Amino acid sequence: MRALRAEASKLATLPFVWFAVVAGILAPTGIVVITSLTSDPNVDTGFAELGLGVIGAIMLGVVVISSEYTTEGEEAAGSQQITTTLTSLPSRPRVLVAKAGAVVLLTAVLAVAAIAAVFAVAGLLLGDGAPALDGHAVARMGGVVTYWVLMALLGSGLSVLTRSGVVPMVVLVANSSAVTVTYLLALRVPAASYLPDLAGLRMFTHVRTGVEIAPLTGGLIMTAWVAALLLVAGVVFCRRDA
Amino acid sequence: MAPVLTFNRVTKTRGSREILTDITFEARSGRVTGFAGPNGAGKSSTLRILLGLDRATSGHALVAGQRFASLRDPLRRVGAVLDGSGAHRSRTGRAHLRWIARSAGIADARVEEVLELTEIADAGNRRVAAYSLGMGRRLGLAVALLGEPAALVLDEPINGLDPEGIAWVRTFLRQQAREGRAVLLSSHAMGELAETVDDVVVIHHGRIVADGALAEVAGGHHSLEDAFFALTSDRADR
Repeated sequence: MRALRAEASKLATLPFVWFAVVAGILAPTGIVVITSLTSDPNVDTGFAELGLGVIGAIMLGVVVISSEYTTEGEEAAGSQQITTTLTSLPSRPRVLVAKAGAVVLLTAVLAVAAIAAVFAVAGLLLGDGAPALDGHAVARMGGVVTYWVLMALLGSGLSVLTRSGVVPMVVLVANSSAVTVTYLLALRVPAASYLPDLAGLRMFTHVRTGVEIAPLTGGLIMTAWVAALLLVAGVVFCRRDA
Repeated sequence: MAPVLTFNRVTKTRGSREILTDITFEARSGRVTGFAGPNGAGKSSTLRILLGLDRATSGHALVAGQRFASLRDPLRRVGAVLDGSGAHRSRTGRAHLRWIARSAGIADARVEEVLELTEIADAGNRRVAAYSLGMGRRLGLAVALLGEPAALVLDEPINGLDPEGIAWVRTFLRQQAREGRAVLLSSHAMGELAETVDDVVVIHHGRIVADGALAEVAGGHHSLEDAFFALTSDRADR
C-alpha cells in the first residue's frame, strides 16, 4: 500500500503526466468535433476517435517507467531516480506491481473521462444522429477502458526493457495515430491481425483486415500479449543491475 | 562500536572482467569512514552492491547483519546519496521528498525538517532542474536523513562542489558521526578527506590496498594524499 501511495504521489507531481492526461481527453474530443462536423455519423462514431485517444494512455504507461531512468542533465550525468526508488523500496517485485497498479488506476479513470467527453460532445453536435447509448454501447465503452489500460501497460513493459521512453513512445504513439504500421502489415500478412493493438481494437471498433476476430477474443489475445510482456519485463527488472 | 556496514569478500565480474575482488571492510557507528580510490577503482560499484542496486557475483555486503534487500524499513536503517540528487528534474524538491516519505510511511512534517536541516527549504517548491549541483547534493542528503537512519552512505559527496560547499558537507558529516551514525563516504580526492574521516579504506583496481585508522594508513608518509598516491600508483603494482 505504501508503495502504491508513493507511485501515485510520483505520478501526481510529474508535469508530463498531466500533459498525457490532457492529451488523452483533448485528442479524441477534438477529433470527434471535426468528424461530427464534416461527415455523417456511423457505427464507429466516437469509438474510432477513442482508438486514437489511446496515445494519452500510452504516454502515461511509458512515463511511469521512463521517468525513473531520465538523467539529470550534464552536471550529474549518471543520476537517475531509479536509485532513489530502489533504496527506499528494495523489493523490486513490489515496486513493479505498485507501478502497474498506479498505471491501471489512473488510465482507467482517464479512459472513463475521455469516453464521457467524447460522447457528450458527439451528442451535442449530432443531436438525433448521435450514437445510441444502449447496452451494446456501454459494453463497447468497457472495451475502450480495457484497451487503454492494456496499451498503457504495454508501454510500461516495453519501457522496462529499454530503460528509456523514446523507443516505446515513438513506436506505440506513431502506430496508434500517424502511421498504423501493424494495420498496413495486417493487410498483407493475415497473422498480423493477431498483434496486440489490432486484436484489442476489436473490443470496441471495427478493423477491416480480412481476418474476423470477435470482441471478447480480441480482448483476450491482447491481454495474453501484455501479460507475456509484463512477465518478461518483471524477470528482467528483478534480475539485472539497476 | 559495532560495525554497521560490513563487506565480506565481495567480488563482481562484469562480462569477463573482474571489477571487484574480495572486497572486505567495515564502517562503524560514530565514525566517518573514507572509501578512497582513483576514478574507476570500483568505489561506486561497491556501494551499489551494498544498497542492493547491483548484484555481487560472490561474497556479501550487509547492513546490521542483513542484506539491504531484506531490510524491512531501509530508509530508517541506511540513508544513501549516490551521484546527483537522485530526483527527476521536473519534480520539485519538496514533491520528491514527499513521495519518498510516503514509501516509508514518514509524515510530511519530517520532510519540512530535513529541508530545514539541509538548508534548502527556500528552494523546496522549485523544480530540481533549476537546482545547482550543491543544492542537488543537499536534496540527496535530505532524502538520506528522512528516516533518521543509523548509517549514511555517500558516493563522492564533495565532487564538483565549491570550497564553501565542501566545508559545509564536511561539518555536516562530522556532526552526523557525532550523533552516533556510521558514515561511509567515497572520494577520489584524498586531500579533501583528511580532515573529515576517522578511518580510511583504499581501493585500487577493484582490490582493497589499505584499511585502518587515518593515522595508520597515512603513517610513514608526509600526508594522507602522499600515502594515497603511493598506494595507488600503478608503478607500485608492478
